[in-house]
Amino acid sequence: MHVLLRSAPTALTGGRRALLQPLGVAATALIGTGYVAAVDPSAAGHYPTCPFLAITGWYCPGCGALRAVHALAHGDVVTALARNPFAVVVLGYVVIAWVLWLDRTARGRPARWLAPPWVLYGVLGVILAFWVLRNVPGWTWLSPA
Amino acid sequence: MSDYGSTPPPPPPPPPGGGGTPPPPPPPSYGGPGVPAGAPGTPPDNYLVWAILSTILCCPPLGIPSIVFSTQVNSKWALGDVAGAQAASAKAKKFAIWAVIGWAVFVVLYVIALIVGIGSLNFSTGTNSGF
Repeated sequence: MHVLLRSAPTALTGGRRALLQPLGVAATALIGTGYVAAVDPSAAGHYPTCPFLAITGWYCPGCGALRAVHALAHGDVVTALARNPFAVVVLGYVVIAWVLWLDRTARGRPARWLAPPWVLYGVLGVILAFWVLRNVPGWTWLSPA
Repeated sequence: MSDYGSTPPPPPPPPPGGGGTPPPPPPPSYGGPGVPAGAPGTPPDNYLVWAILSTILCCPPLGIPSIVFSTQVNSKWALGDVAGAQAASAKAKKFAIWAVIGWAVFVVLYVIALIVGIGSLNFSTGTNSGF
């Protein structure tokens, strides 16, 4: 097993500069989060209305995500879950994915594993179900309202 | 030999007739001696994070097909269809880029609308942003 540490020099040629990509993404995300934390999405006129909501009157899977990010940035997990529970889960996934990306980049080792396809079909199914159910009367715990 | 294990995750064989395709890849976990790490055993990126983010934060019409192509990357790779997985990866990437462009266009249009002064007509009448 230790042999493979020597079998990876080709991937290491990116060196430190390769780290600029994940770090740049993190910096951009932090700037965006800071803006959403400072400028309240709950107040009218701060952000445009979701085009899907404006046109159809239905919530899309992302409706409430900005308010969830705002709440999370202020440490209010309960409010974040009330606005968009799926977005909270996704943000957790994104953070984990970023850490793994940073780790892979730092070690100079490309991803060697793909999730089984049914996991991704499951994700798609959850998103579509979430999209529908949050518009169903009585399922307000999924809606951003 | 023994370091290949008995039941490795399915390594994709080269597609039939794919000219210039490298020989069968090593098990995905590591390359054997003489096999450069990350050469044939590296699955293409499925851009799943981008796909989900564009579905949630931007544009479901672009995000949903993006997730479908991400899934195809995984399923075709699992079946050993390297070329198909790479094609699906390219499509997933394309949709991710379009989602970013679509989002940027939307933001720019909104800012222009604000500056011109029509933003208050369309966008700011609700009690909240909707997002």
